Amino acid sequence: MIKVDNLTKRFGRHLAVAGATFEVEQGEVVGFLGPNGAGKTTTIRMLTGFLPPTSGSAAIDSLDVTRHSVEARRQIGYLPESVPLYRDMRVREYLRFRGGIKGLKGKTLHLRMDEVLERCGLREVRRKMIKTLSKGFRQRVGLADALIHDPPLLILDEPTNGLDPNQIRSIRHLIKQLGKSHTILLSTHILTEVEMICDKIVIIDGGKILASDTPSNLVSTMRSAGRISIEVKADPEKARERMAALDHVKKVIYERSRDDWEEFSVLVESGTDTRERLARLAQDEDWPLRRLHRHDATLEDVFVELTRKD
Amino acid sequence: MTNLLILLRKDLRGFFLSPFGWIVLTFVTVMQGWSMSGAMKALQDAPIPESLVYIVFHMPQFWFYFLVIFPLITMRLFAEEERMGTLETLLTAPIQTWQLVLGKYLATLCFYLILWIPAFIQFQVFSILTDVPPPFSTGSLLGAFLLIFLMGTLFIAVGSFASSLTSSQIIAGVVTVGLLFIHYFLGYITVIYGDRFPAASLFQHISSSEHLRYFSKGLIDSRTIVYYLTAAIFFLFLTHHVLNHRRWRS
Repeated sequence: MIKVDNLTKRFGRHLAVAGATFEVEQGEVVGFLGPNGAGKTTTIRMLTGFLPPTSGSAAIDSLDVTRHSVEARRQIGYLPESVPLYRDMRVREYLRFRGGIKGLKGKTLHLRMDEVLERCGLREVRRKMIKTLSKGFRQRVGLADALIHDPPLLILDEPTNGLDPNQIRSIRHLIKQLGKSHTILLSTHILTEVEMICDKIVIIDGGKILASDTPSNLVSTMRSAGRISIEVKADPEKARERMAALDHVKKVIYERSRDDWEEFSVLVESGTDTRERLARLAQDEDWPLRRLHRHDATLEDVFVELTRKD
Repeated sequence: MTNLLILLRKDLRGFFLSPFGWIVLTFVTVMQGWSMSGAMKALQDAPIPESLVYIVFHMPQFWFYFLVIFPLITMRLFAEEERMGTLETLLTAPIQTWQLVLGKYLATLCFYLILWIPAFIQFQVFSILTDVPPPFSTGSLLGAFLLIFLMGTLFIAVGSFASSLTSSQIIAGVVTVGLLFIHYFLGYITVIYGDRFPAASLFQHISSSEHLRYFSKGLIDSRTIVYYLTAAIFFLFLTHHVLNHRRWRS
């Protein structure tokens, strides 16, 4: 459905997207993850034809976004990050206008309007001015606009940004429903959202695609790397040094002291298990050992591991 | 074509759904009435060998309010869309950029023509109320309104261009006023310095006040028509390119 090949965007000297390559298959719900300023919005703007790429190519349903721009745009329902709307229009009027410029007319337009009003829960506010609506309802109006021409692909740029927890739940629920019948590219930096909704994840940072896989695959490649918590009774400084001297240990962090027990986090290299050797060390040193626990990697660990700067 | 009409209708409605459009309409109507009554008073005070139409369009206040109309009606066009972010939703919809440019341009031109309905009525009312034959010929009235239309085509194109350059309505308005004043004073050069230098005819050719003088006597010059229309197309072309180029750098 989406095929991005070596897509690059340069703003003067700033390289916003550097050779991004990824694919989204028909019917997938893909989370497009990255820290703020990673190049998510720029990539999306190139996909939707708002910005032309500096080099590389992107195609929607095998229609190139620069050469067959209008046809490619017809395949997309796009909800921009800031949800721009005409404040002085009424909800129904706005949807009629948007449906019109997306090529719907007459009876089809009215049917589609009724359907998206229903689907996005906008029925009771359809005659209201957009400027009187709350943020959650505006988000739904934006979503209704993206859906009006029944596009096979939805591109949603941070759709739950700035909503309250109830609104977030209802928008997520809506997206989940839509995912059954649409291909969705969902940009976000909220990890729980991705875990709840997405089949596949694309992680971008500094304009580069760092990973593109299913959540479970990403987590399993990260599994053996990770963090071990250990609590012992010992001199904190000495214990830290001894543990750091073990093989495969990358870093030992002294967390806190709790009623004479000292807690450490031990970061280890991937593909190794250091618990046994830590236990032996405690025995050899005659440190009372209370806890030795390896944390399972989460999506958050994957994300932090891939995108952290230090 | 349908897209063009939908965009045109949206922007034309925009003029009437906000108080802004009505304020402009009121302002222009009042100024037209002021010109009209001033011209009638001038005719009353002293015999003038020109027609009422000629005097109305040569009152000192005419250029003042006439040139102010354009920044008022064009400054919002693209600057507002850009500031609100709705330009993104427009340019990512399956429409061509020229449809957007032309839709907005024609909507503004329609609104501009509506602005001149009161002035037209005023001329008609004169002959109904006074029971004297109208002190102007049909030719001079139609000529003057034709030139008003032609100046509108160009000046609205200039305003659209200025509006596409920025996301600030104020800057768009100031740039429009600036460009229109430059245009107006270039036409005045031959009035100030005489027409005894080689390029004088060039300045006369671009001078809107010079054209207005002929047209409001009923003398219609096809060169003038071509001049305004080609210049308007040129500025629309620039607007189209600025919008496309904006996407390149934004």
